[in-house]
Amino acid sequence: MKVKLIRTGGFIPVTKAAETEVNLTDTELVRLLEVIHPDPKAHRIKDGNYYELTVGNNSTPVDLDKVPDKYRALFSKLKSDMRIIKRD
Amino acid sequence: MCKNHFNPIHCIIPPYMIKKLMESGNKKIADKAINTNFRNYRFRNDRIFFHNSSLKEKRILGVIAKQVGKEVLQMKVYDCKQKTDLAGATLLWDSKNNQKITSLAGKNVIKGGKASWDFYWQLFGRNSIDNNGLLIKQYVHFDKGMDNAYWDGRRMVYGDGDGTVFTSFTIDIDIIGHELTHGVMENEANLDYENQAGALNESFSDIFGIMIKQRFNNQDVKKSNWLIGERVMIGPKYALRSLKAPGTAYLNHPELGNDPQPATMDKYQNLPNTSAGDWGGVHINSGITNFAFYVAAYNMGGYAWDKTGRIWYAVLTDVKLTQNAKFADVKNLTIVNAEKIYGINSPEVKAVKQGWAEAKV
Repeated sequence: MKVKLIRTGGFIPVTKAAETEVNLTDTELVRLLEVIHPDPKAHRIKDGNYYELTVGNNSTPVDLDKVPDKYRALFSKLKSDMRIIKRD
Repeated sequence: MCKNHFNPIHCIIPPYMIKKLMESGNKKIADKAINTNFRNYRFRNDRIFFHNSSLKEKRILGVIAKQVGKEVLQMKVYDCKQKTDLAGATLLWDSKNNQKITSLAGKNVIKGGKASWDFYWQLFGRNSIDNNGLLIKQYVHFDKGMDNAYWDGRRMVYGDGDGTVFTSFTIDIDIIGHELTHGVMENEANLDYENQAGALNESFSDIFGIMIKQRFNNQDVKKSNWLIGERVMIGPKYALRSLKAPGTAYLNHPELGNDPQPATMDKYQNLPNTSAGDWGGVHINSGITNFAFYVAAYNMGGYAWDKTGRIWYAVLTDVKLTQNAKFADVKNLTIVNAEKIYGINSPEVKAVKQGWAEAKV
């Protein structure tokens, strides 16, 4: 399946994104999204960046600090491949 | 002073939501909301009381640490070594030792941190971010190629930039002043980080950031180019924001397109309160209040921090500035504070009113 990592926010709001093919079962994906779900009570970071993972038509906010070791390489690659999406 | 809060959520929920929750049919939710409202009431009254107390009274009450001599800057700089683990960062510099360092990013944030501390202390008698000598913590080389800088509620964090569109976010002193001012704001009105209050929060950071740079470079209102982040964006024609002409900091940039900031209220952008929507356009609509400040400062002349800065600092620390303030509230507070400081019919009051009129607020 194809997953897309999108970064928003920042000192000037810039959206960046990267996508890649992954070999995950639906169960593995659901489990991963549960583990990396951000704390809903988290304080809003001033000028902070926020990430979401899009699979198909569904986007879920993710906290990259919570990514398990098993998936670190995947997210590192997605982060380094991210390109700016020009504003309309 | 939000640090006294029992629960950080108290800083986040706006009053209209608390009111709604207090009327909830669910007893548990209503009880919690009543408790929150009570704490908020006490907190607001504490803030008014401490605001009106003298330094001596504050020290007796333990709000300000006893003076042990001259107030001095306390700052530590850490090197993240391009990792994202803040807890694992290495200490690079400590104001206690003032050791020599070779890191350019480290040198930049030491210079910017000192300029920011000096600005608040020498002009307004404010001792650091919390006015209580808080240790300023700055983290450089965060992550690989991170094109951002932020205040996380406790510290300032800077990336090295992607090397294509952005260089190190430590390069501009106004960015450092901007982030430090987010800390000051959290210790004062703690404006909500969304919609108009969020745009005001951003605007206070830009305004104090630019004044910190102007003071460091000894620039008056005419000499300054009023650009925020004029070096961090690669290319001589680009900056992150312009207070003088919002919406023109970068034009036809190959990657970013055009600067989206409006300068006037009729161009206010209603955006979703999501990260993708910049929390309702906090970095976008801040152009309007930035422009009001610029016009007021330019019309007053001289150094921006002398008069206009004094008025805006009085508003930043005014107990009447509520967490969910709107542009019109800050407009009124700047006029009221300018009248208090300079007199009702003073040229300064006239300049402030002109600023808001030009920004169509």
